[in-house]
Amino acid sequence: MARTLRCHVLVLGSVAVLALTGCSGGGASPASTGPNGLEKATIKVGALPIPDPVALYIAQAKGFFKEEGLAVEPVTITGGAAALPQIESGALDITQTNYVSSILAAGQGKKIKLVADMYRAAPNTFEIMVPKDSPIQRVADLKGKTVLVNNLRNIATLAVTTQLRAAGLSEADVKFAEKPFPEMGNAITAGQGDAGWITEPFITANKNALGFRTIADTMTGPTADLPIAGWMATDEWVRQNPKTLAAFQRAISKAQRLASGDRKEIEAALPTYTKIDAKTAAAITLGAYPSTLEAARLQKVADLMLEYKYINGPIDVKSLIAASPGG
Amino acid sequence: MTGARLLRGAVGAAGFLLAGELVIRFGLGENLLFPPPSTVLYEAVRLPADPKFLAGVGATLANWALGLLTAVAVAVPAGVLLGSLAPVERAIRPVLEFLRPIPSVAIIPLAILLVPVDELMKVSVIVYASVWPILINTLYGMRDVDPLAKESLRSFGFGPAAVLARVSLPSAAPFVATGVRIAAGIALVLAVSAELVAGGVNGIGVYVTVAGNGNRTDLMMAATFWAGLFGVIANLALLAGERRLFRWHHARTGAVS
Repeated sequence: MARTLRCHVLVLGSVAVLALTGCSGGGASPASTGPNGLEKATIKVGALPIPDPVALYIAQAKGFFKEEGLAVEPVTITGGAAALPQIESGALDITQTNYVSSILAAGQGKKIKLVADMYRAAPNTFEIMVPKDSPIQRVADLKGKTVLVNNLRNIATLAVTTQLRAAGLSEADVKFAEKPFPEMGNAITAGQGDAGWITEPFITANKNALGFRTIADTMTGPTADLPIAGWMATDEWVRQNPKTLAAFQRAISKAQRLASGDRKEIEAALPTYTKIDAKTAAAITLGAYPSTLEAARLQKVADLMLEYKYINGPIDVKSLIAASPGG
Repeated sequence: MTGARLLRGAVGAAGFLLAGELVIRFGLGENLLFPPPSTVLYEAVRLPADPKFLAGVGATLANWALGLLTAVAVAVPAGVLLGSLAPVERAIRPVLEFLRPIPSVAIIPLAILLVPVDELMKVSVIVYASVWPILINTLYGMRDVDPLAKESLRSFGFGPAAVLARVSLPSAAPFVATGVRIAAGIALVLAVSAELVAGGVNGIGVYVTVAGNGNRTDLMMAATFWAGLFGVIANLALLAGERRLFRWHHARTGAVS
């Protein structure tokens, strides 16, 4: 009796240890070959609940993925910081990324590939805003002030820095502090910052609800039409799933063309996956939705990052782009 | 909880909400970026009609329950084992004391990198966080067992198994229950935190992320309100269960908690 009980306890103990360590085991789920010879018939795709990845939801709603024999499960991501490890672990097959994050990751030796374009800046899509009664009138007035950005050393700080240089200042003349977009307006009102780098729908919201005014459009001059976001996978995933990738690329490209040709398509899709209502969707300023990933255009991002020392050496973005089915 | 206590609690909560309402409406200025409590409560009442929110609640509570049950299955036997074998406990103690104070939210990024399945990743961090209070409480419960009772049983010829089943486990059970109740709160925090950090298909935290990115602070706070409510309900339910099961223990220690 005593012996059996001790055995039970030992077994329970080892189960406990196994359960604790076992949680971190396991590999990628076995690939299921689908129709059209796809290596993977169902893929998980990470996207932020913002206007940028609208093509994913348009392609889903219009059946573009289904036409390719591909089932896509959209997964809400919270930002690049979590999405990169999620494609590395295999929890996601493809994810939204902003180009500065992916080029930074590539600079650190991460084996990633950009697989399709998503969102490009247009005038007034990323602005530096201040409260209505702020003494700050121009970018030059930001000297010694605190600018709130969604991420430090990323696309926000890069965009603001290009404007600082145009005004004769440098990165060192302002203090950057991190704050998520939803909290930025209140944080500035509460005095946690003097200005903020803000995008939609928050440009419209801060203007209407808090009376904020714009002191600069950060997507002008060297950053005009700057590529902002794209779709990314790991190098390994791209090599193992060429047909699945091509199917994804075709469907997304088709949806991007639809989105860029008719704003109504975007306005109809936004309320289905974001909490942006129809009225706001009709009012906000949107960027561009390119249907091909152009290396030359993307190189501008890498070159700016080198110029402002975000990366230590030059990066040829062609090496980061996965071939698209069109060549 | 008596009627008078309930009334006083309700008055306190109402006063708090009213103060918030007045401060925002007349002090800070009402707008969508800073919704007053009445707006948040109104949205909170409407939320159960939103299928996406309901799916989120289902996903979060499922992860929470699975994580908590796994933690109980892991931590109670481990606590009994460590509580019965003093040398093993002394050997493992430093590791426990090192791991226990690490804020569990801080291991979420590591879990994202290690666990390739989203739900399993979330359950793993919930298990990790909720194991500690159950384990430590079980351990102390085992130590608190009346040595005289154990000796008496042994002197009558009962083996260690019988001593464990008849004296040690019943005596430690109230401690285990307290550990589970504390863990339930921690598990809920981790269930929502993992969603806020990692995202996902559904979840209260995912809903909060989507609402925030769409500039719906009112929906964000309404969803958070529900998360808090689930925590309160779970705590009350477990507390009631403890009272019912271990009346003898509360009578002995005079604990009212």
